Amino acid sequence: MTADPRAGTVADGPAHALLFLTCRRSQPVADTSQSDDMSPTARTGLSAHWHRLSIRQKQVVWAWAFLAVPIVFYIVVRFYPTGNAFVLSFQEWNLLGSREWVGFENYVDLWNDPVFWIVFVNTFEYLIIGTPISLVISFFVAYHLDKVRFMHGTIRALYFLPFMTSAVAMAWVWRWFYQPVPIGVFNNFLAQFGIPQIEFLQSTSIALPAVLAPAVWAGLGFQVIIFMAGLRAIPPTYYEAARVDGVSNWTMLWEITLPLLKPTIVFLVVFSSIGFLRIFDHVFNMTTNNPGGPLNSTKPLVLMIYETAFGGRSQMGAAAAQTVVLFVILLIVSLVQLRILRDR
Amino acid sequence: MANLALRDLVKTYDRTEVLHSINLDVQDGEFVVFVGPSGCGKSTTLRMIAGLEEVTSGTVEIGGQVVNNLEPKDRDIAMVFQNYAIYPHMTVRKNIAFGLRTSKMTRAQKEARIEEVAGILGMTEYLDRKPNQLSGGQRQRVAIGRAMVRDPAVFLFDEPLSNLDAQLRTQMRLEIKKLHRRVGSTIVFVTHDQVEAMTMADRIVIMKDGHIQQIGSPAEVYHAPANTFVAQFIGAPSMNLLDGRGTASGVTLWTGAALATGPGAEGKALTIGIRPEDLHVVESGGVLTGIVSVAEPLGSETLVYVDVDGKEIIASASGRTPPVAGDRIALDLDVRNLHVFDAASGEALA
Ligand SMILES: Nc1ncnc2c1ncn2[C@@H]1O[C@H](COP(=O)(O)OP(=O)(O)OP(=O)(O)O)[C@@H](O)[C@H]1O
Ligand SMILES: [Mg+2]
Repeated sequence: MTADPRAGTVADGPAHALLFLTCRRSQPVADTSQSDDMSPTARTGLSAHWHRLSIRQKQVVWAWAFLAVPIVFYIVVRFYPTGNAFVLSFQEWNLLGSREWVGFENYVDLWNDPVFWIVFVNTFEYLIIGTPISLVISFFVAYHLDKVRFMHGTIRALYFLPFMTSAVAMAWVWRWFYQPVPIGVFNNFLAQFGIPQIEFLQSTSIALPAVLAPAVWAGLGFQVIIFMAGLRAIPPTYYEAARVDGVSNWTMLWEITLPLLKPTIVFLVVFSSIGFLRIFDHVFNMTTNNPGGPLNSTKPLVLMIYETAFGGRSQMGAAAAQTVVLFVILLIVSLVQLRILRDR
Repeated sequence: MANLALRDLVKTYDRTEVLHSINLDVQDGEFVVFVGPSGCGKSTTLRMIAGLEEVTSGTVEIGGQVVNNLEPKDRDIAMVFQNYAIYPHMTVRKNIAFGLRTSKMTRAQKEARIEEVAGILGMTEYLDRKPNQLSGGQRQRVAIGRAMVRDPAVFLFDEPLSNLDAQLRTQMRLEIKKLHRRVGSTIVFVTHDQVEAMTMADRIVIMKDGHIQQIGSPAEVYHAPANTFVAQFIGAPSMNLLDGRGTASGVTLWTGAALATGPGAEGKALTIGIRPEDLHVVESGGVLTGIVSVAEPLGSETLVYVDVDGKEIIASASGRTPPVAGDRIALDLDVRNLHVFDAASGEALA
């Protein structure tokens, strides 16, 4: 799979490689026994060999030549650390000393840790509240924005802006919104109507949704853009035909738009679920004095991992075990979603 | 049971008028074909009949009732689109059933109706397939089926055959015509293919730049074109258009040849039209002589491109002993087959 020296002789490689990637099942690569005749006339021999390959074989060679770079990259920066984390989850390590094998102890500790179960529930709350709400809102926005001609670009940019903004800056702005009178915007607004103050970030029941709101808002722009692209891809004659058939807008939405948007919806469900399961920045920055508080009521799994690893005691093994648990959760959730949404 | 009438129909997009005062009466059960080059306004007219496009001014009447402000569903029409517009996520049965969504039939009646339509179209065995498991022609049939189930008064077709290959197109052409015979609805059919128009239509409406050029039966528009545009648009290969001038007894061609077409246009600059099949290759004499530049054998006949005094003329010669390139040949014609047009306006002179 490494770069083939023969690869340099033909100029239109990328096209071949792409062609290969898009339309070919892989086939045994060019006969490797050819490397045995590295004779004095190796150069001419090599180019002769290259020319003897069929177009298909050349495509395969090129494809692997180009795939080699990302494969090496992924092995170094992705697979190796991932594997290392799995190993580490069965060890104890404080970053400085040596690593000691402890078997399943890290997992058992985690199981018996009441905070873990709170965090576990919180993480799923972020997922279960965040994903549907953000998808419904972004679809609603995209569906209507698609029909608006007036200032279309500007409105779309407004929705996209939060997505480009730093999560830290945003979290701090929202944090300010949530402050009590006379600072916080929301409480000021409520006060005008004589509604009592809401302790957004201090109440154990409201803090989690309060932290989730800016996260939903931040992701909205991206989802709106993706939904709009999906909507644009539906041929307008589908709707015209339906109009001639006299069906209601509601029927069009449920029987034409949504089914045809399914690939987009599947993508966004999986993508945003992963995002909510890994929520961190918003929580961390909105609850800095007491990360994940009050009483762990907003703490997600990633924050717990962060605290275990870097929160003073440097329990790298335990943090690795938590990471593995997160990985398994992400994997299961994604697979289940793909399964459910694929067929039918 | 409905006739269709367009009265002074005008369509304007952002101050650009694309349709100028269209007037047309379609009888109940008639098969009318709109034909014309790309961008002439055929689809726009059809979409205004369907109610998918706002009418700028004038009226659309269906069954004697002005329908300008009626929603498409209230016009008792059905439309078949160029890209079929059948839903990829629904089976053929569901696609056809979609046309019955708002109907008041019972479930069993709907089922029976779907089966009946599928039977007519020969699609019974495909009812439970998805569109991506069908050929182009079968998809087209599904689209027609969806239009048919509702038994509309007027069928509208917008270039339904242009995505099909030549052979399938010929076949579907025939099937649509048979279907028309069978269900007897009024049909308005849009195409840019003059062969489709000639073969299917009871009456042809020829359009150009948002104006109707001529309305008539296929024979009328072929044998008595109203102007040079129609003369050249209908018929393949196109009619030859020759320069000439009116004389006391007829016309003189640009070659100097005098033809006794009768008086009436003395001194006027004229355009003389003659169809290739009306030009005969003769041994001697003849009205025009020239050198053959290209000969195209088609089997039954051979098309010869003849250079006559610098002007290329197409003639049809016998398929058995065709002239070859380089031959000097003489062409004869019957003055009764000439079409005489005013050179300035292009309008036919009686
Ligand atoms: N939405 C629109 N906005 C502005 N101009 C339009 C619009 N739709 C059509 N037109 C113009 O109206 C004219 C007629 O268009 P139409 O689609 O009716 O042509 P057509 O005869 O169906 O051509 P084709 O054979 O290519 O389908 C064209 O010049 C086109 O540019
Ligand atoms: Mg058109």
